[in-house]
Amino acid sequence: MKKIAVLLSCLALSCAAATGAAAAEKLRLGYLRSDLHHLAAWVAIEKGFFRDEGLDVEVAGIFNAGAEEMSAFASKSLDVGYLGMAPSITGVANRAAAVKAAALANAEGSAIVVKAGSPARSLKDLAGKTIAIPGYASVQDFLFRRALESAGMDAKAVTIIVIKPPEMLAALETGQIEAFIAWEPHATKAVTKGVGRVLLRSSEIWKGHPCCVVAFEEAVVKSRPAVLRSFLKAHARATAFILANADEAVRIGVQYTGMDEATVRAALGNITYRSELERAPILEYASYLTRLGYIKETDPEALLREYIEPSGLIRESRP
Amino acid sequence: MSGGPRSYRLLHLLPVVAVALLWEGLGAAGIVPENRLPPPSRVLGGLAELISRGLPPGSGLLGHCAASLRRVLGGVGAALAVAIPLGLLLGRSARLRSLAHPFVELTRPIPPLAWVPLAILWFGIGDLSAVFIIFLGAFFPILLNTIAGVLSIERGLVESAVLLGAGRRDLFLKVLAPGATPAIFTGVRIAVGVGWMTLVAAEFTGVKSGYGLGYMIMTARDIQRADQIVAGMLVIGLIGFAIDALIRAAEGRLLRWR
Repeated sequence: MKKIAVLLSCLALSCAAATGAAAAEKLRLGYLRSDLHHLAAWVAIEKGFFRDEGLDVEVAGIFNAGAEEMSAFASKSLDVGYLGMAPSITGVANRAAAVKAAALANAEGSAIVVKAGSPARSLKDLAGKTIAIPGYASVQDFLFRRALESAGMDAKAVTIIVIKPPEMLAALETGQIEAFIAWEPHATKAVTKGVGRVLLRSSEIWKGHPCCVVAFEEAVVKSRPAVLRSFLKAHARATAFILANADEAVRIGVQYTGMDEATVRAALGNITYRSELERAPILEYASYLTRLGYIKETDPEALLREYIEPSGLIRESRP
Repeated sequence: MSGGPRSYRLLHLLPVVAVALLWEGLGAAGIVPENRLPPPSRVLGGLAELISRGLPPGSGLLGHCAASLRRVLGGVGAALAVAIPLGLLLGRSARLRSLAHPFVELTRPIPPLAWVPLAILWFGIGDLSAVFIIFLGAFFPILLNTIAGVLSIERGLVESAVLLGAGRRDLFLKVLAPGATPAIFTGVRIAVGVGWMTLVAAEFTGVKSGYGLGYMIMTARDIQRADQIVAGMLVIGLIGFAIDALIRAAEGRLLRWR
């Protein structure tokens, strides 16, 4: 009888402990499948950085494209997500979902890859060829068109088609496309697999360009500012961790992308992990999206006010 | 013909208009948020933009329709060419039927979309891939309906044709094929429907020409324009409706003897 009483009180105690843990702030997180740009999220989960901030972060969605993740925001299935700057601005401008960017996830980290045996030495050599992008209004769409522009080429000089990154490698291998632009580790994977060669890194297209962001659903921003701050603290800590602990970062990257260590290690070298947003490059994204007809924004300043969360991690650009 | 076909048609349109008005009203009242389901006025605006500007900008709606129609007609056409003769043959011969049975019943339940990765390996990301996927979707409805059509022909009719000295060719062309035609038409109507369904999904995986209604909808998703997504769906619905009406008209004409 005594034993049972002890057992019961243990049970009661553990229940109390459980409810204590449940009192942590719940957050539903989304990120893109095998996108090494979102490593900070995986590090914060694996290293318990979210827990340390009193957050109970649940992975509520893993997506193939930023636009899909924005749909999940629209259906109120996510509180916070890692995704590209381009799809998130597009979604805000087109009133698809109300999110606010509060931090940068990474800068740079994409590349234009041609076939391993391709004679192409510059973008000009791709004239008349078929090139795959991961989606319209994606960061890579933007980068590719910008690269064409700086090479003095018209967008019509090439055939642009949409293929999702996991299928790009096979399309390149079988000669259906001449080149693709993708985020890491897909670009490096083509190289380590011996299928592709990097023609142009995104850092060469636009030095230091912002890429993915941490975006929050409007409701979180409005009613749970403390949760937002805690999340950003964990995010910044994870970003710093990646910079200081390359080996452990690679291990976590391998675990979440399912790719081999050599690929992940090489890919990490092409990504700049940084957590602060800057206004000027975001403005550039917005005006580009307008120019291409993806969004109808006439006042980019107003769009930025709607898109950037002022209490987020922001670096004031020098005038 | 009392009342005339015109007023009859108008009467049929009434519920459509009522639903559209209700939908618009729900949107205007804020009960259905615009980002979940844009109201008809927004959808029409999106449709106008699809025609005037195109999506991705520069690729007009007509081009998308033409590319998709070509793929559907190609796939369904190929299915017709293979499935009707095969169906007549299998319908006629019980032995062949039992021989084919395991193959048919094993491949039939496989959704055409499960073939997409293989189709891309075999035919690349061009039109041929989409045509092949549509062919797979359209094939079985036509085949099974043709077989059923042959089996539905009165046995005595076939026997007497044979007794009266009908050759193989005459038997197939003058007895079995006409007798099975009503059932074949049912199969074709199902096949075209399935063809459209598989087309859009096949185009989701990427097309080389940059044209196709499924590709257009995927692009609208990329740039997050729900109004243009719905407009694209509406276009597919309208084309499907028109094709079905055409098939039914052809059916009525061909089967006047009934």
